[in-house]
Order: sequence, then C-alpha cells, then structure tokens
Amino acid sequence: MRGLRALILVVCALAVSACAYGPPTREALAARDPYEQMNRDTLKFNAKIDKYFVIPTVGLYFVLVPETGRKGVHNFLGNLSLPIIFVNDMLQGEVTRGAQSAGRFVINSSLGLGGFLDPATKMGIPGHGEDMGQTFAVWGAKEGPYLVLPFFGPSNPRDAAGLALDWTIDPTNFIHMKQHVWWAAGRGYFTLLDLRSQTWETVQGIQRNSVDYYASLRSFYRQYRGEQIRNGRAGEKPPELPDF
Amino acid sequence: MLSTPLMRRAVLALAMAFAVPLMAAQPAAAANVAETFVDQNLQKGLAILNNKSLSTAQRREQFQSFLLALVDTRRIALFTLGQYRRTAPPADVEAFTVAFKDYATAAYQSYFARYSGQTVKVIGSQQRSPTDYIVATQLVDPGKSQAPLEVDFRIRTDGGSPVLVDVSVAGIWLSLEQRDQFVSFLGQNNGNVRTLIAHLSDLSANLSKPAN
Repeated sequence: MRGLRALILVVCALAVSACAYGPPTREALAARDPYEQMNRDTLKFNAKIDKYFVIPTVGLYFVLVPETGRKGVHNFLGNLSLPIIFVNDMLQGEVTRGAQSAGRFVINSSLGLGGFLDPATKMGIPGHGEDMGQTFAVWGAKEGPYLVLPFFGPSNPRDAAGLALDWTIDPTNFIHMKQHVWWAAGRGYFTLLDLRSQTWETVQGIQRNSVDYYASLRSFYRQYRGEQIRNGRAGEKPPELPDF
Repeated sequence: MLSTPLMRRAVLALAMAFAVPLMAAQPAAAANVAETFVDQNLQKGLAILNNKSLSTAQRREQFQSFLLALVDTRRIALFTLGQYRRTAPPADVEAFTVAFKDYATAAYQSYFARYSGQTVKVIGSQQRSPTDYIVATQLVDPGKSQAPLEVDFRIRTDGGSPVLVDVSVAGIWLSLEQRDQFVSFLGQNNGNVRTLIAHLSDLSANLSKPAN
C-alpha cells in the first residue's frame, strides 16, 4: 500500500505543479510531451540531487568498494528483484522466462550465497528484466505523455503506475522487521549507487554528445523502453522505423 | 469432404497465412550484400581502432576517412532536421548538412572508440524493403563476462552501393535520437537552423578534443 500512496502523492504533486505552467507549445504536443517545461525543471532538480548527493558518493563507492564487491552488490540487488520479475513474466504469459527467473532466484539465493554471486548465468540461465510498466504495455496500455519524476527520472504515467505497483508487490515489504525503513532506504540508496555506477559512461557520453540533453534523454528512454517491452529481438519482426 | 472451390479457398488461405508473415518479416538471404558490407567494414574499422602503431591523430584521421566512405551523412542530416527541412531556407539546409557531417564523424568516432579491443560478429539480417536492410551484430568484450552487446546497422542500397544510415545499440537508433533532439532544439529556437549549426560546430570541436 505504501507504493500506491506514493503514486497518489506523486500524481497529485505533478498535477498541482502542471497547473503552474502555461499551455503546452505545438512542438511539445508534437513530441507527446505536453508537460515539457515542468519536466525540464524536474530534470534540473534531479541533476542538482545527482551533483550534490549522488555523484560524490558514487566516487567514494568506486574508491572504497573494489569491482568484485560492486559486482556482488549488483548481483544481490538483481536477485532481490527476481520475485517481481517472475510475477511480471507470468502476467505477460512468458512462462519460459518466468521459469528462468524462478530458477535464477533459487540457484543464486542458495549456491550464489544469498545472491551475491551469479552461478545461474554460468549454468546457462541468463538474467532479464521485467516490470509492471512493461506488463501494462503488453496488455495494451499506451505510454501516455512523457514525464520526468522527481528522484526517479524519465517515465510516463504507465511506467510510473507500474513502478508503484512493483513496489507494492515486492515480497521484502511483507517481511516484518523492526527497522524496515532503514532496510528500504539502504536498498534504495544502493540501487541508486549501482544504477549510477553502471550507467556512468553512458550518461557522460549522452551529455557530451547532446545538442539538447533533455530531448536526447527523452528519446533514449522511449526507445529503450520500447526495446524492453519487445524483449529485445524476441519478435524477430523488422522494427517500425521512419523512412529516410 | 470439402468441395473444390472451398478447397481452393482453403489452400489459398493457407498459402496467404504463410505468405503474409514472410512478407512482413522477410529474412534476408544468408550473407547478403548488406551483411557482407557490414562485416567487412566492421573488421576494417576495428582494425583501425586497434592499430597501436598509429598515433591518436593518425587513428582519428584514418577512422574519419573510413567513416565518411561508408556513412551517408547527407541523408541522415536531412532526416534529422524533421519538419524543419521543408521550412528552413535551402542555403541553411545545405550548410547544416556540412556541419552535421563534422558532428556525426566526431560523435561516431568518440562512440566507436569505446569499442576498441572488442570482437564483432554479424549474426543475421532482416530486409525491410528491397533496398532497406537491418544487419544484426554482436559485440563481445573478451575481457568481461557480460552478455554481448547487440548492435544493429541500417543499410540502404537504393543508391546502387550500400550505405550506412543508422546504428542501433541495445535497441536505440542514433539517427532517431538525433532527430528528436535537433527538432526539440529548433522548436526552442524559432526553427533557426543557423543557431543549430553554430551549436553543432561547437560540439564537433569539443568532441574532436581528446577525452582526457
């Protein structure tokens, strides 16, 4: 329920903020981004958070934790997400991929020392991602207007709703522990560190090569999500591309 | 027993059922012209990037000439202008294609340099139309145990010889991304292509500098 409450709060905050901006421009509407000005401001806010809070600790993380340790953290966090991935695999009717997720969880939680190691990949069960936003897309939900969420970054109403629902069904939320808030905060923080350290070079590259970083990020996000929803090349159908 | 006209219709329907998916997603013949083009040029490109006997400047120069010979930068430039291609003065559009060429070669070079030391393998292709191919490749980093990176190349052959018009990394097409940002930039600058040219020239100069 915490996830749903967070979603309602975010939606209300965005709705109130959107009222403070004028009507969308023709270009913004054409780009399916009617809240562009608000999104650009949110991106600036996120960039400040990144600059003053995330980047300094990512630097420390690189210095203090060797690559093997960072890989272990990445594996552990990925293992924690496997129950959510499994649920979404099954909701999308992807039984084989669901079995892979379940198998990975069992193998990596036991032989992989709680998920820090990834023997499942070595056994020929590679990992993959799924989330509720993708499930909604498979069910036919449209992405809706582009949104930049505070702290979370690029999104859209479908993916934001999916994010909140994934949070709600996360089994670790049902484990009773005295200091659950610290567990949740620690996990969130390490997820951010891991994500930022994994995408460090890519983000630097986009910033360095961009004429308009905001529009570039928007395009990357939409294309990347499209690819995730298609599960890579699983469809083997020529992608729909504009003619040159 | 089915009557003959009904049988004929059933056979026709069955034939269509098989033919339609084939028409929609026609797999290209093995080692077609596009696959050969990509395979040969990727090996050439990686050979330049991996050539330790060249100085950084020599490597950059060789890689730039190599890229310009196989990428149709004018075609990509016109595509990335989106709707502004029709409304901008023709002289500005021409100037933009020149500025874009410099930007694209600098950006592609900075991008591909990250993949030096890796091995590449063509794994297949799809034919979108008789002159439009997507060639799928995998980049493998021998030093890392990560899954191979999927890189697709869009090749057009309508001008006679094959040319590269777009590259997709993990499903993200670069020309689409460039069009999205240029159109957005122009939307914020009253559609002034000259402002975009100035911006691109600055970016090209920055990209051409050594990264560290």
